[in-house]
Amino acid sequence: MNIKPGEYFLQGNEACMEAAVLAGAKFFAGYPITPSTEIAEGLASMLPEAGGEFLQMEDEIACISAVIGASWGGAKSITATSGPGLSLMQEAIGYAAMTETPVVIVDVMRGGPSTGQPTRASQGDILATKYGSHGDYQVIAFAPANVQEMFDLTVKAFNYAEKYRVPTFILSDAEIGHMRGLLTVPNEIKIVNRKEKGIRRSDEAYDVPDDLVPPFETFGKGHKATVTGITHTAKARVEPEDPTIHQQLVKRLNDKITNNRRDINKWEVIGPESKTMIVSYGSASFGGREVAAKDDRVGLLRLKSIWPLPVEPIKEVASKCEQLLVCEMNLGQLYWGIKRVALEAGCKRVELLSKIGGDPPSPGEVRHKLREMGAI
Amino acid sequence: MRPEINLKHCKACDICVYMCPNDCFSRGVDISDRGYFAAVVSAPEKCFNHGRTKKLICELCVLSCPDQAISWKDESTGDEGSGNEHQTG
Amino acid sequence: MDIFDFYRKDQWPHVFCPGCGNGTVMNCFFRAFDKVGWKLDNTVFVSGIGCSSRIPLYINSDAIHTTHGRAIAFATGIKLSRPELDVVVFTGDGDLGAIGGNHFINGCRRNVDLDVICINNNIYGMTGGQASITTPHEYISTTTPRGNREYPFDLAEIAVAAGANYVARWTTRHVHELTKSIVASLNKKGFNFIEVVSQCPTNFGRRNKMADPSALLEWFKESSVRRDKARAAAVDHVDLNLAGQITTGEFVSRERECYHERTGGSSHGDGH
Repeated sequence: MNIKPGEYFLQGNEACMEAAVLAGAKFFAGYPITPSTEIAEGLASMLPEAGGEFLQMEDEIACISAVIGASWGGAKSITATSGPGLSLMQEAIGYAAMTETPVVIVDVMRGGPSTGQPTRASQGDILATKYGSHGDYQVIAFAPANVQEMFDLTVKAFNYAEKYRVPTFILSDAEIGHMRGLLTVPNEIKIVNRKEKGIRRSDEAYDVPDDLVPPFETFGKGHKATVTGITHTAKARVEPEDPTIHQQLVKRLNDKITNNRRDINKWEVIGPESKTMIVSYGSASFGGREVAAKDDRVGLLRLKSIWPLPVEPIKEVASKCEQLLVCEMNLGQLYWGIKRVALEAGCKRVELLSKIGGDPPSPGEVRHKLREMGAI
Repeated sequence: MRPEINLKHCKACDICVYMCPNDCFSRGVDISDRGYFAAVVSAPEKCFNHGRTKKLICELCVLSCPDQAISWKDESTGDEGSGNEHQTG
Repeated sequence: MDIFDFYRKDQWPHVFCPGCGNGTVMNCFFRAFDKVGWKLDNTVFVSGIGCSSRIPLYINSDAIHTTHGRAIAFATGIKLSRPELDVVVFTGDGDLGAIGGNHFINGCRRNVDLDVICINNNIYGMTGGQASITTPHEYISTTTPRGNREYPFDLAEIAVAAGANYVARWTTRHVHELTKSIVASLNKKGFNFIEVVSQCPTNFGRRNKMADPSALLEWFKESSVRRDKARAAAVDHVDLNLAGQITTGEFVSRERECYHERTGGSSHGDGH
C-alpha cells in the first residue's frame, strides 16, 4: 500500500522506501549490506504489494545489472547499497551512463575504505559516485540531511533519472538512514516518467530536446532496440573505431547533465549576506547549521544535490563572502571542487573542516574552526 | 532442390566441404568479390535433395554454414527457395 | 520466416572469422526459433562481452549487449520486470563461467525463465587467444605457451548440479541435435542451459595444430561421447571434460517451478 498523505515519524531508510514506492518504483534488486539493509527489507514486502518485483541477488554487481535490465523492461528501478557495494557496482554504473538507463541507486554511506566502519556515518563515497567508473560520464547525486529530505529527494531522484535517462544517486549515510524524524507526506507529488519512443505526453521529460536525451525504447514494444555499451550512433549502430562518433556520444552524455545544472541542483542558504559562509551537505551540515542559525557573522550554503557540482550557488555565495569553510565527513572530497569555483568567483580564502570516524562535526568543532579562521 | 552458395556471404571456411556426406561441395579456385576462395557446389546431383521438391532432409551444409551463405534452389523452376523454410527432415 | 527477416540486414555480414562456430549456432538457433513460433517483437536477446556475445546485435529484435559476465543478471531483471517477454541469453565460456560464474550458478539455482546458450570455444577469442576456463589441459594458448597447467571447467555439469531446469551439451558438429535441443529449451519454462562446444580456428585451432575449421570439427566428432556412455565408460573422465572427450547429449530435463511462477504478477495474495 502506498503511504497516505499526512505526518509520520519514520526512519530515514523507511522514508526512502516509502518515497520509492510512491514515485512508481516497480523493481528492486538488492544485497544485504549495513547500513542500507532496511530499504531492502522494507521493499521486499512493499514492492510485491504495489505490483512490483523484489529480488535479492547474489552480489551487488548482479543487483545493479538486474536493475538496469528491469529499467529496459520499462520498470522504474532502484537498488540500495553502501560503500563496498558501490565499489562493486562501478562498471555497471558506467554502463548505465553509456546506455542512458534511468536507475536510482541509494548509497547509505559508511566509513571506508574497505569494510571500515559498517555502522558509522561517513561521506567517503562522494567522488566514487562521480568518478568511480572509467571514462567521462555524468551522474546526478542528491544529499539528504533529514528524514523529510530522504523522502523528497528520493522522489526527485526518480524524476531526474527518468527525465535525463541517467543513473541517479541518493547519497545518504548511516546517520540519516537510521535517524528517526518527522515526515510530512504531501497531498500531491510530482512524478515524471521517461519519454518513450512513439509516444508524446504532456510530461516534463518531453521538454528536453530529443537530440540531448533521445526517447527511451522500452523492450517488447517492437522498437527493435539495440542497447550496447560499445560506442554507438543515434541509431544504435556499433561504431567502436570512429573518433567522431565517440566524441559526439560522450560529449552529449556529459552535456545533457552539465547544461541542465540549473534544473537539477537543489540547495538551501541560511544568512546569505554573512561574511563567512559554511558550505556543507548531508549530516556534515548539522553543526554548521546550528552555528549559522545563531550567529549573524556566519551563514550556511547546504547543498541538497552534489553532482553535477552546483557551481551557480557556490559562485553566488563565494562572490559575496570573505571566506568559506567547507565542512565534510571525509578528508576533503568535494573541497577541491568547491575551492576552485569559490576562488574563481573572488572569494579570498577557502578552508576545510573534515571529520572522519563516524560522528558529524559538532557545533563546538565548527565554532573552534571558525575562531581559527578569525570569523567569530 | 540443390544447395546454392551466396558469394556475397561465403568466407571460404570450407565447412560445407567437410560436412557434406555426399561430397557435393569442393574448395573454391576463383576469388569472389569479397576476396575469398568461395566454395563451389561441384556435384549437386549427389545431394540427398536432388530431384526432391519439398521435403528437405540432411541440410548439414545449410545448418552448419557459419555465414548463412547456403540456401536451397529449386531445380525445376530455377526459383530460389529459402533455405530456411520449415523443414520436416 | 526468411532467415534475413531474423537478422538485421544493415549489420550483415557479421564480424566473425571464417569458420567460426558462432554463425553455425546462429543458424541452428534461427531454425529452432522459427520452429517454436516465437515472435521477434516479443523476445529480448541478452549477451555479455566476447565473440559470441556479439550475436544479439545481429538479430532483428530487442537486444542488450551488457557488461562482461553479467548477462544472466541483466536478463533476470528484464524477465522479472516483463514476465510476458521471452528472454534468450547468448554468452561464451569466459563470459559465463569465469567472470560470470557466480551469476551462472545462482541463475541456475534461482530458475528464472531464461534460455541460456553458451558458445564454448575453449579460448578468449576476441582478445586474441588467451586460455579460458575451458581450455583443455596441456593445450596451447597465448597465456599458456607451454601448455595449460589447469584443468577445464565442465559448465554443463555445473548447471545440472546448480539446479537448471534443462541442460544439454552439443558441439557445432551436431547441428541437428543442437537444433532439437534448442527447440526443447525454448519450449520449456525455467532456466534452460545449452552449452555448444564450438570451433575457434583463428585463436584456438591455429595454435593447436587444427588451423582448419574442419580439423576442429573432426576433433569434436572423434572425441564426442554421449553422456550415458561416458558415465559408464569413464567416470573419472567426465569432470575432465574436453581433455579427452566431450560428453554430449541432454544432461537433465526437470520440471522445477520457476521463480516468477512463484512470486510474479498477482500471486502475492497470501502475504501477511
